[in-house]
Amino acid sequence: MTSLALETDETLLIGKIAFLVLLYLFILYVVRSATKGMAQAPQESIVLGAAEANALRAQHGLAPARLLVLASTELGRGRTIEVAAPTVVGRDAASGIRLEHDEFVSARHARIEPRPEGAMVDDLGSTNGTFVNGTKLERAQLAKVGDVIRIGATELQVQA
Amino acid sequence: MNARRRELFGLVLAGLIASVALATVTLARDAEISPDVVTWGALFLGLYVVAHVVIRRTAPNADGALLPLTAVLTAFGVTTIYRLDPGDGGRQAVWIAAGVAALAGTLLWFRHDYRVLESYRYLFGVGAVALLLLPSLPGLGETVNGARLWVDLGVIQFQPGELAKICLILFLAGYLREKRESLARGQLKDVGPLLAIWGAAMLVIVVTNDLGSALLNFGIFLAMLYVATGRALFVAAGLTLFLGGAAVLYNAIGHVQDRVTIWLQPWTDEPVYCSLTGELALRQDCASYQLVKSLYSIANGGFGGTGLGQGTFTSVDGSQLIPYLRTDFIFSAIAQELGLVGAAAVLLVFMLFVVRGMRVALQADDGFSKLLAAGLTFGFALQTFIIVGGVLRVVPLTGITLPFVSYGGTSIVANFVLLALLLLVSNRANEPR
Repeated sequence: MTSLALETDETLLIGKIAFLVLLYLFILYVVRSATKGMAQAPQESIVLGAAEANALRAQHGLAPARLLVLASTELGRGRTIEVAAPTVVGRDAASGIRLEHDEFVSARHARIEPRPEGAMVDDLGSTNGTFVNGTKLERAQLAKVGDVIRIGATELQVQA
Repeated sequence: MNARRRELFGLVLAGLIASVALATVTLARDAEISPDVVTWGALFLGLYVVAHVVIRRTAPNADGALLPLTAVLTAFGVTTIYRLDPGDGGRQAVWIAAGVAALAGTLLWFRHDYRVLESYRYLFGVGAVALLLLPSLPGLGETVNGARLWVDLGVIQFQPGELAKICLILFLAGYLREKRESLARGQLKDVGPLLAIWGAAMLVIVVTNDLGSALLNFGIFLAMLYVATGRALFVAAGLTLFLGGAAVLYNAIGHVQDRVTIWLQPWTDEPVYCSLTGELALRQDCASYQLVKSLYSIANGGFGGTGLGQGTFTSVDGSQLIPYLRTDFIFSAIAQELGLVGAAAVLLVFMLFVVRGMRVALQADDGFSKLLAAGLTFGFALQTFIIVGGVLRVVPLTGITLPFVSYGGTSIVANFVLLALLLLVSNRANEPR
């Protein structure tokens, strides 16, 4: 009888430990999966959706971002482009900044949004990538005044 | 579909956790593992797989962690309740099934667009106030433990407060979405609603004696106001008003005073007047009996706990040591049997739920969805804090349920509806466009 009781006690201890181990494994599993996909949709406001933020920005007259063309096959060097609203750069006819003949540019290549400090650049899943100061974008990044954005053969410098 | 696969795997883990817990409980009670454990574990998993299939059909892009986290929380609840009273455990299992049905119903109903809810915002606002005041109507309400929280309709009894919370969040999400800009500019005329809601919160305290739900609903309001306007000043003003009002009420209402006294001085060396019996008694034997016994229960758990099914909840003569153990005090039962390690794990699971919920709010694409997700998540977090903090004597104790864990049908069903809304917002935010 004593041996049986001892057995039960040991099993209970094993049960308790197994439960706690499983529980913490579960927590670890959720934490690990939580960090996946976190990079998508970085946003500056918890309240405003992307579209609403832009509407407000336009309404309150946020100064457009000014981009100086340093090099390009088709944009004209030395020209300054003003980006007042989020603008898609690509070969597509619907692109706000169209780079029709650059074969290294995807149809919808990148998005540029004006910000008080410069321009927010996000790669839209392009084949050849979007670069800020030579670094390939992994996620949306703020390009400050003086930074150079490269898309295909086109280089744009953020102006004050 | 990646999120759905993660969800299914998480549910299998949750089912395993529930089965091991139940097996340990039956082993501790009968000195053998009941063969029914396999059946119950399979039923538990099967129930959540049904929920999983419904989500696959209606919200395929929704967050994949929320449902497994919920499953683990309900597993904690149902096994602890079963351990305390097998009959109640069975009833809680039925309530969880009803909750999953409510989840499926909400998902199916709003699978196309839940944002139609925004156009009914004023209806939800009126509904929230009506639900909160319902228990105080003569003939309908029932007084339990000094507060009027229950509605007795003869056939069924329910706690409208849980549903009121969701109605309030839906109202605030719609209302603040509309008035956000003028509020953010701080126009004086928009302070009106703020004062009206403050008044309503105070009214609820006076009429129902229900401090917990007043604190919860007012907290939700302030948090959503802050999320909508980004102005900390509103929160400071709101808190000042609430504390000021509470101070006045403290002097006017005995129930509020009792709660604070119990919180600050649960033990006395000399007998004090006991309002329950009308005689002199040590406070730990009278007003703060429940809290003190719960603190002993938590202390008894120590670091590793007594083990599932092996805690002490009854005195030598078999009577229950802690009243309301299955509902308000379930956390102290868990803390005794699983110790600090287990209690911390429970809080971690709650925290992860909140992290996922806030992430849904961040990802959502329009103001209503963002406010809705943030409000639902904050309400969930604050409710957990109020009751766990109360049980641990961090804040004054007010009777409120621990979401998904406490015994009770209304609470379980309401929280499953909350989960369904979060999943819908998350699904919409992640839809490929």
